[in-house]
Amino acid sequence: MEACPIGSLNPGRGGEDMVEFNVLGFLIDWSTFFAIYAILAISLNLEIGYTGMANFGKVAFYAIGAYLSAVLTIVAFLTIFGVSAPLYSVDTVIALGEHGAELPWLNIGLFILSIVLSAIVAGVVGYLVTYPTLRVGPAFLGITILSFGEMLRFFLRNYEPLGSTYGLFGVPHPFQWIPNPTVRTGIYALIVLGIMFGIYIYAERLVNSPFGRVLRAIKDDEVAALCLGKHVPRIKATVLFIGSAMAGVAGALYLFYLGSVNPDMFIPRVTFDIWAMVILGGMGNNKGAIVGAAIITFVDRALTFITPSLGLTAYITPDYIRWMTVGLLIVLVLLFKPGGLIPEKPIKTPALEIADKIEEG
Amino acid sequence: MPELLETVDVAKYFGGVRALDGVSIKVKEGSVIGLIGPNGSGKTTLFNVITGFYVPERGEVWFNNERIDGLNPNEVYLKGLVRTFQIPRLFPSLTVLENVIITPPYQIGERVLDAPFKKRWEKQEVDLAKKAVELLRRFGMGKYIKSKISELSAAHIKMLETIRGLLASPKILLLDEPAAGVAYTTAKELFEYILRLRSEQGLTFLIIEHRLEVLMDYVDYVYVLHNGKLLSEGKPEEVVQDPKVIEAYLGG
Repeated sequence: MEACPIGSLNPGRGGEDMVEFNVLGFLIDWSTFFAIYAILAISLNLEIGYTGMANFGKVAFYAIGAYLSAVLTIVAFLTIFGVSAPLYSVDTVIALGEHGAELPWLNIGLFILSIVLSAIVAGVVGYLVTYPTLRVGPAFLGITILSFGEMLRFFLRNYEPLGSTYGLFGVPHPFQWIPNPTVRTGIYALIVLGIMFGIYIYAERLVNSPFGRVLRAIKDDEVAALCLGKHVPRIKATVLFIGSAMAGVAGALYLFYLGSVNPDMFIPRVTFDIWAMVILGGMGNNKGAIVGAAIITFVDRALTFITPSLGLTAYITPDYIRWMTVGLLIVLVLLFKPGGLIPEKPIKTPALEIADKIEEG
Repeated sequence: MPELLETVDVAKYFGGVRALDGVSIKVKEGSVIGLIGPNGSGKTTLFNVITGFYVPERGEVWFNNERIDGLNPNEVYLKGLVRTFQIPRLFPSLTVLENVIITPPYQIGERVLDAPFKKRWEKQEVDLAKKAVELLRRFGMGKYIKSKISELSAAHIKMLETIRGLLASPKILLLDEPAAGVAYTTAKELFEYILRLRSEQGLTFLIIEHRLEVLMDYVDYVYVLHNGKLLSEGKPEEVVQDPKVIEAYLGG
């Protein structure tokens, strides 16, 4: 499974040899991608939709999660099986292939550990990178994170121990020991969907609370929130910690799905894909973010699967069709439903329910 | 009675403009103090220096025997100094009730680790909501509890700005033109309520007001600012007789 991610959200599987349209394969592939991107969209929505912070570098924390998980897993396998080879080498890939299915609990353990560590490391980096910019103004935040993401990508491209532009290969799947690939990827898709659902519930609870009320206040008027005793810079950095941690988790899930990682998976366009999802679905609404992620990943996966069988690849690549479709969707939504498909709704704190009860009684 | 709030020789310049040029005022605990002066005399700038928006070029601000100039606005707020704005700054994406209930500091549900667990903060939220509803009703805003800010009249918005300052249970409230744009009778009610709060809870008030006819009946002491300097001070009936004040307001 070679990585070739420039074209679409995922290295194009299928291709010329895939004549029949594999519905189950498509559903598994799409739902995995949908769930990963839904996590990213929820995390961006928390930042831009609820708190009003324009994060143009979401992809950096996604990359941190993916690379961290890859390094952790490969190092662990090499150490346990006593192979001494650089992380990026043919020997390593061969060793990982040989031993990848031997110890199921090792695979699963590393998967869980990777997710936890990715969340923590990406969160801490998010907090540190953005904290100094929070006092100067929203534009600085966006530019700083955008630049940070690009610097990280160029560092990875030039850092040989991590495979420079080739990246890292052969990371064993958490369920490598299940021989049937459909079952393996199917179980993985369900787990990713479950994690996405958990993150959604967490985000919903977080925003429908007094904390969420403060986030909206900051979005409306930072200065007024500051005057009401809210420590605005710290709250914003906290939100960036949470958002970046979620992106780190998404990065880990992405890595274990693909089994490989390379720097050019994390170009700024990925960030803007996530923005498109949030704009399309509706800012300040977690359900909207999920709907946006579902639509755009569907367009992406469907085109990747279908276009080869249409015989159009000689004239136009799926990627261009995808860009046009997403662009058209955004224009249409902004024309007819400017708030997105599911627009922002008042937050549900118990305060209003109580007010109702007092009215009645 | 001890001084609750005191500014000592406070100066604030904007480029060549001396917005405040050595202003010293004293606010005793439990008093209602008026701060008047023509447009551009530095009243709001003084508020901004006291509440931590501006760091003064010179001088000191003392509150409760603590020096507070140089603190951030949120830190000043947490010390019990609550202000309102001349142009109300409410949160348009929140309802009226939420705009009020957001003001009390240190809410359990505002802590990020407790926020996802409703059980931990629900009781406090219920108590605050009851207080907020009671407060809104007292000012005739009971039927707007669930309204959006965009549905309110300018006078109601002005009132709301003051009301929400009250829920925070401050030690001192700094009101920037609370009666501007508010009907005369409502303004009177507001000031009556301010006096009641003072006698019931010992609250202290520092009030900027343009409408002297409303203010004069309710304040103990008045400071008059003009071009960044104290022009006059005294009991309200003395100050309105002061020729310098009359000249600053009418001529000059």
